[in-house]
Amino acid sequence: MPLIIVSADDFKQGDEISQKVAGTLGYRYLGRDLLHYVATENQVSEEELARALDEAPGLLTRRARRQRLLGLIEAACLNVLLDDSVVCFGLAAHMYVRAVSHALKVRIINEPEQRAEALAEAEGLSVDKARKQVMRQTKDERRWSEETYNLDQTDASLYDMVISLGTLELDKAVEIISDTVGYRKFQPMTYSRKLMQDKALAAAVRRELMGQFPEIRVEANDGTVVVFIQSLKKDQRKKQELVRQIAGGLPGVRHVEVHIIRDLVGQAAQSSR
Amino acid sequence: MAIITISRGSYSKGREVAEKVAQRMGYQVVSRDVLLEASEKFHISEVKLVRAIHDAPSVLERFTHGKYCYLAFIRAALTERAVKDDLVYHGLAGHLLLKGVPHVLKVRIIADLEARVAAEMKRENLTQSQARSLLLKDDAERRKWTQSLYGADPWDASLYDLVIHINQLTVDDAVDFIVQAAGRECFKTTVEAQQKIQDLALACRVKASLAEDECVDIAVTSEFGNVMVYTKQDDRRAHRLEEKLKPLAKGLPEINHLELRAGQPFPPEAC
Repeated sequence: MPLIIVSADDFKQGDEISQKVAGTLGYRYLGRDLLHYVATENQVSEEELARALDEAPGLLTRRARRQRLLGLIEAACLNVLLDDSVVCFGLAAHMYVRAVSHALKVRIINEPEQRAEALAEAEGLSVDKARKQVMRQTKDERRWSEETYNLDQTDASLYDMVISLGTLELDKAVEIISDTVGYRKFQPMTYSRKLMQDKALAAAVRRELMGQFPEIRVEANDGTVVVFIQSLKKDQRKKQELVRQIAGGLPGVRHVEVHIIRDLVGQAAQSSR
Repeated sequence: MAIITISRGSYSKGREVAEKVAQRMGYQVVSRDVLLEASEKFHISEVKLVRAIHDAPSVLERFTHGKYCYLAFIRAALTERAVKDDLVYHGLAGHLLLKGVPHVLKVRIIADLEARVAAEMKRENLTQSQARSLLLKDDAERRKWTQSLYGADPWDASLYDLVIHINQLTVDDAVDFIVQAAGRECFKTTVEAQQKIQDLALACRVKASLAEDECVDIAVTSEFGNVMVYTKQDDRRAHRLEEKLKPLAKGLPEINHLELRAGQPFPPEAC
């Protein structure tokens, strides 16, 4: 059965809709609870994981650390999404299951004015202040996705459909999503399942290597893993060997290819010494 | 019943969706006909109206107000159609032209650029790069148009109730969703909603008549036929405008009362 990936500009509403869809269809719900598992498995704090998902990087953010945390979440999430019949919300999965045809990608939005009014009421702010806050939130949301995945997550073309709760009620959104997922086009096929397996394997390899190689890129195809890392010329052989050793030991990996991207900054720094 | 506006880019299959929705619901489908009606009613060539609704105003036009007038004519024609209800409008800015009407279901249909390029290549017999550059230019022009006239980006999903991506989902799927959504209670034409659209149509009609008479930079509201015309000019300069309102009040039987408000800011709901 298909996967449903929900993204929303309002966390509470997105969560409620996702849980209701999961309940209606009898699917498993995958949400922020996963962070507890990721935190325990990797000895990191759950709050830090949530911050990496919620906050756009600032000047003082340790980017490599943040990328690593997001990599841990992505690997754990994709591992669950290998199973069918899952509704996933709040883990940025819409950014990394793109092109998987059995994943219905839905975004839930509100009219900015309504969001501002709700925020003003909830936090006792003036509507003007709330409006500014909503604008800032949207900007931050956009910046988060652009800096992390080089994509604007508010762009409608990333999704199969965008539903506004401005006029349509929450239950109607649940109904539309539940109906849509039954369409033939969202049924898992051999090709789309394989694509998902490749993504999960690439994420698992990246998770293992990110500690040593923060600027890593991994691609996987049917058990063959291609790893791109930065290195100085003199360390090249040692690093290639290390990658092969770590990645090769992971379940599902049959062959590892390591491509070196020249570390030009490091090279320049070394030659100027 | 409802009013449905479908915003689309070129070759996004929005027209096909609109026609099928209209057929399924037994509604009238309106797009270019609005321009023809406006063209006949206000004696302006259709080409000028097409340009008005497609190309963003140039710097010169911001002073000559050409586009301002044409847009007022198009809006008057569209709202007049919308009063009759049961309508599917596809084309540019329907959601903005009918802003403030509660029973309008605002839909945007999008498609992947590659699919659009392929469709344009096939239909216009163009090379891939020609088709791509034409589409990108067209998209940029539409974006500029909406931004310059309404300060909104047509690509912004928050302007719509439903955005449907034609890729995995087909035209027929999109039709199903729209028909389903349009059946919701909130899109039914209530007495209040009908009154709103009648008032908007009247306000647009007054604005278009004044634009025809070279009165620009005005805003008009109507509530139960009580029409307010707003101008930022002071009382003395507004006198000329007041003279023009008198015959208008007599000529349009729907007007209950007509009043000029000079030197006041335009209310946000005004057309």
